[in-house]
Amino acid sequence: MNALETNDKTLLVGIGNYGRSDDGLGWEFIDTFCSHDDLFDVEYRYQLQVEDAELISRYNRVIFVDASHSTYEEGFHFYPCTPKVIHSYTSHQLSPESVLWLVHDLFGKNPEGYVMAISGHTWKFKQGLSHQAQENFHKAATHFLAYINNLTPAPSAMAAVL
Amino acid sequence: MKKKVIIDPVTRVEGHGRVTIHLDEYGKVEDSFFHIVEFRGFERFIQGRPYWEAPVLVQRLCGICPVSHHLAAAKAIDQLVGIDPEELSPAAHKLRKLLHYGQVFQSHALHFFYLASPDLLFGMDAPVDKRHVFAVAIENKELARKGILMRKFGQEIIKAIAGKKIHGIAAVPGGMHKSFEPAERDYFLNGKDIPPVSTMIEWAEETLAFVKTYYKNNKALLDAFAAYPSGHLGMVDASGMLELYHGKLRAIDGSGKVTLPNVSTDDYQAYFMEGVERWSYMKFPYLKALGREKGWNRVGPLARLNVCKGISTPRAEAERQEYIALSGQAINNSTMYTHWARLIELLHCAEVMDELLHDDELLSDDLVREGVKRNEGIGIIEAPRGTLTHHYQVDDKGMITRCNLIVSTTHNNEAMNRAVKWVANNIISQKGTITDGMLNQVEVAIRAYDPCLSCATQALGQMPLKLEVYNHKEECIHERIRN
Repeated sequence: MNALETNDKTLLVGIGNYGRSDDGLGWEFIDTFCSHDDLFDVEYRYQLQVEDAELISRYNRVIFVDASHSTYEEGFHFYPCTPKVIHSYTSHQLSPESVLWLVHDLFGKNPEGYVMAISGHTWKFKQGLSHQAQENFHKAATHFLAYINNLTPAPSAMAAVL
Repeated sequence: MKKKVIIDPVTRVEGHGRVTIHLDEYGKVEDSFFHIVEFRGFERFIQGRPYWEAPVLVQRLCGICPVSHHLAAAKAIDQLVGIDPEELSPAAHKLRKLLHYGQVFQSHALHFFYLASPDLLFGMDAPVDKRHVFAVAIENKELARKGILMRKFGQEIIKAIAGKKIHGIAAVPGGMHKSFEPAERDYFLNGKDIPPVSTMIEWAEETLAFVKTYYKNNKALLDAFAAYPSGHLGMVDASGMLELYHGKLRAIDGSGKVTLPNVSTDDYQAYFMEGVERWSYMKFPYLKALGREKGWNRVGPLARLNVCKGISTPRAEAERQEYIALSGQAINNSTMYTHWARLIELLHCAEVMDELLHDDELLSDDLVREGVKRNEGIGIIEAPRGTLTHHYQVDDKGMITRCNLIVSTTHNNEAMNRAVKWVANNIISQKGTITDGMLNQVEVAIRAYDPCLSCATQALGQMPLKLEVYNHKEECIHERIRN
């Protein structure tokens, strides 16, 4: 098995589909922040799959960004994600928690994990975000900009600094 | 009291479907059906689009085997611009072949490691919390890790050639749009970033060793489970050897008698018809000469190994010989041997990728050929799940006027229905209590075919698959639904 170097950047994974209206929130978010290529590597996904565990195992920090059916008071919820097996009927659509569990179980790594869940409202076959989703997106992006400004280096980078 | 069993959805298959089993008042199976009840759309809505859009549009049928649809459509579109498969430039041909074998490799790895291995590792009637890739990850880490990295290797091949792992674009009318750069090729050979192709060969052989042990230990069960005679259809090269990208169509019956003697893919219409049933949107293809009842064929790994004389790559051929010797069947009609056959193809794909990656022709810029335009194009390819046909007709402006797709899983429609009937009659019928383990064996039988139900119906959106048991009053007394 290859011993691969761990990446000091944060992996930003956008989950969604531009063709399903507000389900495009995750990808829109990645589009917005991909220019910060000193901080982030980015990936676009329709859904998380088993093999994403291998990719994530190469990073010390991963942030999953996805549209949410939940209605959050602030329009979004940014929270730590911990490894946990959550069964789904298909292996082609895994939760962030399940993927992190695979990262730990199969690859022996424990990257910091976060989820940025942004409330969506409509999921029709249509391109473009709804008005409410756009508002929620701006709130989430504003919060995330502040987060970036305070972003501490990922663990291995901190070790290098120290 | 008569009963009717419903399984919905059938799990660990690509897409969703529904199984119903009808029992009489004594619990004896009266009939069973594998229903695909989704809307069929792609053949219709591609009409009126320019021909060059076809390889891009039709691959959206599927997120698992888009490359197969992309390449089958590309072969048909080549003919629309006057280029037959033999007239492609050597570089374009080899790049397409590498793309195709990378696709088959990743799809076969996905099926075995993610979908089928829980049945083999934990048993067909294992509890539901064992029947999942996470259970494999817990109890056989090395197998799961290798499975992930093998699938990744195939996906990286696709990404290198088509730009994306899913729904990329590689083929253009008459060829390919880009060649390989040396650095792109080295990525798959040097082992710095991902395990190299030589390791893929090694791991494919290790997986085969694992499966051979399993088959030796469970031979009686695997010989008998969902075993029934059928036709077998696949593609072979000019020497009769296994071919996945382009060759002749060959079919045999369950005893090995030739029913379709190495015919040109361009002539498929002369030999095939499609039947319909009121209870499914998925059609039932068959050989015209034999009729609907006797002319149906299995397709995919088991069928391909049955129709070919041999395999061109040495390690896979050695495994094929051992497979025939250990199974004791030159023509194999046992559904569960599809898993073993699939892994032999996995090894073959790794060997072919190894050959191609060492071929400097991949770096050539001679990529596109032009000919005299035609109004009809046919592209047939051996997709991971079997023979895949794309057929387009265009008007003089190049707009598509007719599209016919015969998808691999459609060929296997009758075979999967027979598999369900076998389990219903042999495992469920007159057993009194119907257990979850019994119902899972219906799924095991279907799963061996690795059906891609979204491809087969060209459906939009989700397609849950149910298993239902009905009594003689048509009351549903068992229902299995997972969403």
